[in-house]
Amino acid sequence: MSLKVDTGFIKKIKKYGAFDISACFNCGNCTAVCSLSKEDASFPRKMIRLAQIGAEAEISSSLEPWLCTYCGECSTTCPRQAYPGEFMMSLRRFLISKYDVTKISSFFYKFPFIQNILALLVFIVSLGAFISYHGDFAVLSQKIEVIFPFYISLALLSYIFIMYKRVIFDKYKKVLVSFKMKTILPTITQILKQIMFAGCTELDLWRGMAHVLVMSGYLLTLVISVFHILEPLTIHYNWLSLQSFLVFYSTGAIVLGGLSMMARRTIKKSPSSMFSHSSDWLFVLTIFLIGFSLLITHLANIVMGPQAHGVEMLYKINVAIEVAWILIIVPFTKWIHLFFRPIAIYLQHLKEERDLV
Amino acid sequence: MKNDNLKIAVYICHCGGNISDVIDVKRVSQELATYPNVVIGKEYAFMCSSTGQDMVIEDIVKSGINRVVIAACSPALHEATFRGALKRAGINQYLYEHVNIREQASWVHKKDKEGATLKAIALVKAAVEKMARQDELNTIKVPTTQRVAIIGGGIAGMRAAISSAAAGLDVVLIEKQSHLGGKLKRSSAIYPTNETAASVVETLEGLIELNAKIKVFCNAKISSISGFAGNFQINFEFDEAKTEKVEAGVIIIATGFDHYKPYEGEYAYGLSNRVVTLPVFIDIMGTSAEKKLIYDGKTINRIVFVHCVGSRQIDGIDNAQDNGKVNDYCSRVCCSSALFTINKLKDKYPDVDVMDIYSDMRSYGMEHETYYENASKKDILFLRRPLEERPTITPLPDGTFSVKTVDVLTWNEELELIADMIVLVTGMIPNEITDLLEYMKIPRSSDGFIQEVHPKLRPVESANKGIYIAGTALGPMDIIETLQASNTASSKAVALLSQPEIHMDPFVAVVEEDKCSGCGLCPQECSYEGALCMRETDVNGNVKMVASVNQALCVGCGACVAVCPTRAINVAGWTLDQFDAMVEAIAKG
Repeated sequence: MSLKVDTGFIKKIKKYGAFDISACFNCGNCTAVCSLSKEDASFPRKMIRLAQIGAEAEISSSLEPWLCTYCGECSTTCPRQAYPGEFMMSLRRFLISKYDVTKISSFFYKFPFIQNILALLVFIVSLGAFISYHGDFAVLSQKIEVIFPFYISLALLSYIFIMYKRVIFDKYKKVLVSFKMKTILPTITQILKQIMFAGCTELDLWRGMAHVLVMSGYLLTLVISVFHILEPLTIHYNWLSLQSFLVFYSTGAIVLGGLSMMARRTIKKSPSSMFSHSSDWLFVLTIFLIGFSLLITHLANIVMGPQAHGVEMLYKINVAIEVAWILIIVPFTKWIHLFFRPIAIYLQHLKEERDLV
Repeated sequence: MKNDNLKIAVYICHCGGNISDVIDVKRVSQELATYPNVVIGKEYAFMCSSTGQDMVIEDIVKSGINRVVIAACSPALHEATFRGALKRAGINQYLYEHVNIREQASWVHKKDKEGATLKAIALVKAAVEKMARQDELNTIKVPTTQRVAIIGGGIAGMRAAISSAAAGLDVVLIEKQSHLGGKLKRSSAIYPTNETAASVVETLEGLIELNAKIKVFCNAKISSISGFAGNFQINFEFDEAKTEKVEAGVIIIATGFDHYKPYEGEYAYGLSNRVVTLPVFIDIMGTSAEKKLIYDGKTINRIVFVHCVGSRQIDGIDNAQDNGKVNDYCSRVCCSSALFTINKLKDKYPDVDVMDIYSDMRSYGMEHETYYENASKKDILFLRRPLEERPTITPLPDGTFSVKTVDVLTWNEELELIADMIVLVTGMIPNEITDLLEYMKIPRSSDGFIQEVHPKLRPVESANKGIYIAGTALGPMDIIETLQASNTASSKAVALLSQPEIHMDPFVAVVEEDKCSGCGLCPQECSYEGALCMRETDVNGNVKMVASVNQALCVGCGACVAVCPTRAINVAGWTLDQFDAMVEAIAKG
């Protein structure tokens, strides 16, 4: 069976960011420098060639894009300025749009300004609703924050379902699982590594630090909101309380890391920050605003007390930003890659296990 | 044979250690020093060095040496060097014999030092015997016609004509078609300057028209070529029924190439109008409408280019050509030409998808790589096939083509492309000039193009002295290289004709007329037309038929010598008497 060539596919992929990949002539320099490339020397150039010949089915069922940590070595080494690293990033965006049954991701990637406007609209509408709400906002906010994890999980599970279907079910025509240590262990190692950002930090310390700050800060913020650790409208915190410590760390880390990421995307010095899709800016800016608004809210609480009018307003702004973030941004951008890398590693091992049989 | 007038000097060269490591050079020189007629026997590290040459000159001047034998490397390397030394010392340069004891003794008998030494002694003794029978010889001087005849009025011939005329030579430009310009008489653009081919031709035509030294004959058909370097005669017909005879000192062959024409069915050629060769496609694009490429009543959206059609063929895979062989050579210019065309195509029709099947992308020329780079940035899909794989092209009922090819870049997977049009990137083949080559007795190379004597040492020179080759008659080359070869050919023409006489080595047949019986055997044996004939001559008051040699045409092969029953004919410098003495010397050891 010969593979059918589709010359239109590469144009499609370029909409997700990989504008220079046609220049690739398969020299293999990217493969030579990539720490993920194995004996078959196919990573990442196999993906590039598949895109060039337009093998959409093969790419849609591939795991390789999720394994890439975007250290940018390939882009630096590429003699053709084809930016393979940015290409892999584009494939991640493309894959998200493939996993998303609603096709909203694909729509947002192609028309990023609509995502921006929608995020802004959701923020304004929520804030308006919160301001006109005359009940106890502390109670309402708790209810809203309980919905967040369910919403995200629903989106994520549907993505994983499609991913599994394409990668495993469509290929082997059966449901496969493995509980072998050989398969589970690398997955867990990857989760741990990801938390510590091992693998990319050694190459770019600044990028690693910014990543660690934003992610640890944001995870802590999630914990704070999901477990109702903070009640800024009912309790008056002092500077040294445990909650203050948690909030100062999480928001401080987000603000510092977010600023740092924005600076990197402005300076465009390293390959990983050279090309910014509109969605990348939306992501960094919004997470910065979440951290910043929570920090201000908390400071106001310490200084003015929970009953002050300003504190409630600030808190409403913070929650309104979170609503826009969760509804419009999180499920439809590559932010979700956080979850896919360990899953990809699991599926990769599953495939290898199966192919051996 | 002892001759008091003879003073022979023998020198044995060490050639660093190339010779002396194997051959006992001291023993050779000592043994030769006592040989009859030898007055000096020396050995030295490097005879070719200026010290070595000065030693020879000093011995000639001070000791009255009148014959020199040097045993060293191959005469191809240094025979001329030592002849020069003899000249500088004031004696006849042909009183010199060069013995090759490096290639013929020390290098081939490394393990047998004694044998090598004995062989060297025998060879040098033979040379001494030869020199004892050597007369003074003089170069042959032939007057030249100060005119260049150029066969072929394409860009190569036009350039050679202008360059030769600029040096003051008369030029006759002979063209078979009704116009000058050859394959460049077309409106398409050419790389790297992007001007139209026709405009380049027009510029050169203008220069030729203005130049009174250049005479152009169109619609010409050559009927015979005879003569030799400095004195060629060309007979031809032109403009229907008119005939002309031209005398020329030099001939430049600028007969060009032909485009390879695929046979019916080769990559679907002939099965559809939309399978075309690259030159045809270039013409189609030159006249096609803007915005949409419409050809053969169909809007063309996807084109597949197939490289190496008629080039780099492999025995057993591709069909043999008319000469019974496959074209295994690379036509060199087609890759760049295809890339240049693809860029033009994408500039004119950005929405047409282009797929390009190649085996090795050989965009070798200055800046040709940018054609590849620009093409790849314009989303051209390049597919690399293994050298021994051939794409299969099948016309489909809906008018499109299915092209299946193995792609190295996709791990040797077979890929299927759908195309509206196929462009076969055809190579260059030799022009049909068999008659001309036979008139001039010039061999072809294994590829069928004209063979030059040596691509580095004697570029553009044919095997026949005074005949040079310009442009693609030599083999595939682009316009720039063609013009370079043209200018090389014309500068060689100018160099040859820069003196009123041509000097040639004197090693040609010489007849002792009183010994000649007039039997007429030797002219029948001669392979060189006009070199040897029987002529009525007055020999010491006795008029008879004797063999007569045209020194300019004789190459000194010696075929005549072998058949002469009376030993009347000899090759100067290589007489039978000399051979007899050499054989005897070697036999004695």
